[in-house]
Amino acid sequence: MRLMLNTLLLVVAVGLWGCQEEDKRVTMAEDVKSDNVVVNIVTKPVIHAFSWVIGEGVEIDKAVTYVNKDGFLQLEIQGHNRAFNPIVFEYKVEWLDKAGMVVDTTTSKWLQTSAAAKAPFAIKAVAPRTTAVAFRMNTRKIPN
Amino acid sequence: MIKKLMAFALFASSVALTFVGCSPQTENVDTINDQGKAVMQLDYRDFDRAASQMVQSMVESGTFKKEGGGRYVVAKGRIVNDTMQHIDTDQLMGKVEQEMTRSGLVVMTAAVGAGNAPKDSLVYSSRELTRDSDKADEFNKDTVQAKGQLIAPELSISGKIIQRNIRYDNGKQQVEYYFQLQMNNLTNGLVFWQNEIVLGKRGDSKKVPW
Repeated sequence: MRLMLNTLLLVVAVGLWGCQEEDKRVTMAEDVKSDNVVVNIVTKPVIHAFSWVIGEGVEIDKAVTYVNKDGFLQLEIQGHNRAFNPIVFEYKVEWLDKAGMVVDTTTSKWLQTSAAAKAPFAIKAVAPRTTAVAFRMNTRKIPN
Repeated sequence: MIKKLMAFALFASSVALTFVGCSPQTENVDTINDQGKAVMQLDYRDFDRAASQMVQSMVESGTFKKEGGGRYVVAKGRIVNDTMQHIDTDQLMGKVEQEMTRSGLVVMTAAVGAGNAPKDSLVYSSRELTRDSDKADEFNKDTVQAKGQLIAPELSISGKIIQRNIRYDNGKQQVEYYFQLQMNNLTNGLVFWQNEIVLGKRGDSKKVPW
């Protein structure tokens, strides 16, 4: 009985140690940080397989816009990659004027970016016209 | 004999038709949403990417807002092509100049260019013809450019495109392209703005990157 209680306490202690709060500003890669009860050499393949099966990928958290001191609209898209592998993709930002019309600019091209595995990422863009007041963004897979 | 000849002709024509049917058809490139594969050389998509990032860097820098209003007058300096490819550097610079001009931050001058060569020789030749030649009398004096009208540039833009080839293991190679641009203040020689965009391509070492 005493042995069982000690074992249980040990498991709980290890579990709590593994779940200790990490600084969210720092993302430690899976193969860099320490293993714990939940994520270890045994469970990793299962977790990866599950992630792949449910099709985890990139998600956008928020889009921040502001007009800089020169009057140009700046955009920062903040998101995170839920997958266990880096995801490379292309995005295109189009700028819209007050009437909702697309501003004709050569900067609205498909540009490449990459989101590291299980990590946050950001995309920055600047409208090259002061007439731009809004934006829309499209993404696509890198053509193979 | 005739039957054999006809049979051979029929066979030959059907083979020829088959090959014609298999040859790739010419199609227009969708330059808006191009799904084409990457190539080892620089193609228009690479120039688009480099120009887009350069312009955004310039606009974001906040250094081109002229104190007291107005726009900076920019002359195009030398853009060196240090790659193994025959590149017209205007493929990059045309986009950058166009977008910067349309941003309202700068205006390009056609009167001054790298190596004392004006961007547009007509700036001077039209003056020679309409003002200084024996045909000058044919032109209405009110429409002829007066002396002292050209605006001197305040900034110049110059740069370089560099290529580096690196051989990898397993029959692969990596080609790195560096697009470097800088905007210089012609009054004091200081570098006003500078940026580098790197594009890398990795593929079969048998593919020729030029």
